[in-house]
Amino acid sequence: MPGRKADDDVGMTSDIALLTEDLTKFYGQRRGIEGLSLEVRAGEVVGFLGPNGAGKTTTIRLLLDFLRPTRGHASVLGLDPRSDKAALHRQIGYLPGELVFPGRDKAEDLLRFFAAARGGVAWSQVTELAERLDLDLSRSVRTMSKGNKQKVGLVQAFMHRPAVLVLDEPTSGLDPLMQQEFLAMVRDASGAGQTIFMSSHVLAEVQQVADRVAIVRDGQLVAVERVESLGKRAVRAVEIHFDDPVDPAEFSVLPGVSDVVVSGPVLKCTVDGRIDPLIKAAARHEVVDMLSAEPDLEETFLSFYYHGEGAGDASRAGA
Amino acid sequence: MLPALVRKTWRDDRLALIGWAGGVAAFTAIYTSFYSQFQGAAELKQDALPQGMLDFLGIADMLSPAGYLQATIFSLVGPLLVLMCAITLAARTIARPEEDGGMELMLANPVSRTAFAWQRVGAAGSALTGIAAIPGILLMIIVPWIGMDIPLSNVAAASAGLVALVWSFAGVAFLVGAATGKRASVLAITGGLAVATYMANAIGGMLDGWHWVRWLSPFHYFIGTDPLHTGWHPPELLTLVLLGAVTTIAGVIVFDRRDIGV
Repeated sequence: MPGRKADDDVGMTSDIALLTEDLTKFYGQRRGIEGLSLEVRAGEVVGFLGPNGAGKTTTIRLLLDFLRPTRGHASVLGLDPRSDKAALHRQIGYLPGELVFPGRDKAEDLLRFFAAARGGVAWSQVTELAERLDLDLSRSVRTMSKGNKQKVGLVQAFMHRPAVLVLDEPTSGLDPLMQQEFLAMVRDASGAGQTIFMSSHVLAEVQQVADRVAIVRDGQLVAVERVESLGKRAVRAVEIHFDDPVDPAEFSVLPGVSDVVVSGPVLKCTVDGRIDPLIKAAARHEVVDMLSAEPDLEETFLSFYYHGEGAGDASRAGA
Repeated sequence: MLPALVRKTWRDDRLALIGWAGGVAAFTAIYTSFYSQFQGAAELKQDALPQGMLDFLGIADMLSPAGYLQATIFSLVGPLLVLMCAITLAARTIARPEEDGGMELMLANPVSRTAFAWQRVGAAGSALTGIAAIPGILLMIIVPWIGMDIPLSNVAAASAGLVALVWSFAGVAFLVGAATGKRASVLAITGGLAVATYMANAIGGMLDGWHWVRWLSPFHYFIGTDPLHTGWHPPELLTLVLLGAVTTIAGVIVFDRRDIGV
C-alpha cells in the first residue's frame, strides 16, 4: 500500500485484525497445527480451508483462547487472546464448529443471555437477524433441527456486531437458500468494516465472499492466495473432439496436463495453469470441437492436498 | 445486578436444585416428625443393634433427642444426601458443559477464564449452601414445635457443620472438574474420597491405635466433636471451610492454565 511505510508500526497494529506467528499446537505427540503464520487485515474476508483434521478448528480454538499454543503466538485486534480475553471477546463473534448450546432454554432466552453477557445488545439486532434467517425464537434450542440450531449460532455470533467474526464451518446444516442468506450477511458485515475469518471444507461457498483463502493440510499452511489468482491457476477439465483418433502419449507429456484419457478421437484431460501448451499440441490435428469447463476451484483446492506441496505443475505432471 | 452467567447457571440447574431441595426438606421433615412415635420403638432398635454397629454408624444412642437427631439426620443418610447433591452440582460447573460442548459458547462471552470459573462455582456454591442449610432451618422450626429437648444452639452448630462439610467436598469436586474436565472423574474421585474418609472416621473411632486417621477425615471435623451434645467448635468448622476455600481457589487457578475441551 503506498504511503503506508512511514507509520508502519502504528499502521500494522491497527490495520491487522488477526495475526498468527509460528502458531503451533501439539496434543501430546499428535500435531494440531504447526508453524502457522497468517495475517488478516481489518475488513477482510478470509476463508480458511482444508480437509477434516487439517487443523482448522485447532487454529480457531487457539484464537479464542480455548487452547494455549505449544509455540508461537496469536493476536486478535492487537490483543492477546489470553491476557486480554474479556476485552477481546466483546469484539469477537464466534460460531463453534460443534454447536452445543448450554441449557434447555428457548432460543429467545438463550439469546437474551448472550445479549446480557456481552454487556447489552439492542434486541432489534437480534430480531432482525432472526427474521433474515427465518428463525422462530420461541422454540427450545434442544428440540431444533441442525439447520435451525446453526441459525441460532449465527444470530449469536453476529448480534453484537463484533469487529471480528470467527466462524467454524458456518454453513453446515443450512439449506442452499439459507447458505445464500448467510453469504449475504457476510458481505454486509464486510461492507460495514467487520473482519471475517471463516473455516470451511467447501471452497465454492468461500469463493463467493472471500477476498483471500488460506489452505491448510496436515497441520500446515500450504497456501494463502487471493480468490482471483486461485482462479488463474485453476485446474480445468478439457475435452477435445478430433477428426481422427489421437495418441494419448502426445498429450500426457505436456506441462500441466494430466488425467489424459483418449477414446478414439475424443481426448479428455485436466489442465493445471496455462492452457496454451495443450492448444498448441491440439492444433497439429483437425479439431472438431473443444469443451472447457469453468475453472473448478473445488478441484484446484483438492489438488492442494491430494498432490503434495503447492500442487505445482511438476507434481501435477507426475501424478 | 448479578452477572448473566450466574443467573444462567441457576436457570439451567433449576430442576436439579428444586429436586434436591425438595428431597432434603422431605427427608428432614419426615424423620424429625417421627420422633414422638419413635420413642417407644427406640429402645427395641437400640438393643437390636450391637454396640460396634452403632459406633460405626455414628449413633451414640437413639433415646435422647440429640442421639435421635444424630442417628437420623446427621450421621449417615443426611450427609450422604447433601454430599451427592454437592458432587453432582459441582460436576455441572465445568466438567459437564466441557464434556458436552456447551461451555464454548459460555466461555466465548467477554469474561476472563478466572471470572468464568468464579461465577460458575459461585452460582453452584450458593445454591448448594441453600440446600445444605435446609435441614438446619427446618430443625429450627420442627424441634421446638414437637418439643424435642435439645438446645437450638447445638442444633445450629451441627447444621452449620453440615454446610461446612458440603463446602469442603464441593471444593474438592470443583477442583477435580476444573483440573480434568471429566464428569466421571469428579464423581469417582470425590465419591471415593467421601466413602474412604467416612470409613476412616468410623473405623478410627473404633480401633485402638488408629485414632489418628480420624484427623484426615472431614467427617471427623463435622460430627466427631459431637456438636449436638457439646455445641459449637469453631476451629473444626473453620478447618472444613478452609479445605473448601483452598480447593476452590486451586480449581480456579488450574482451570485458568489449561486447554479446554481437548
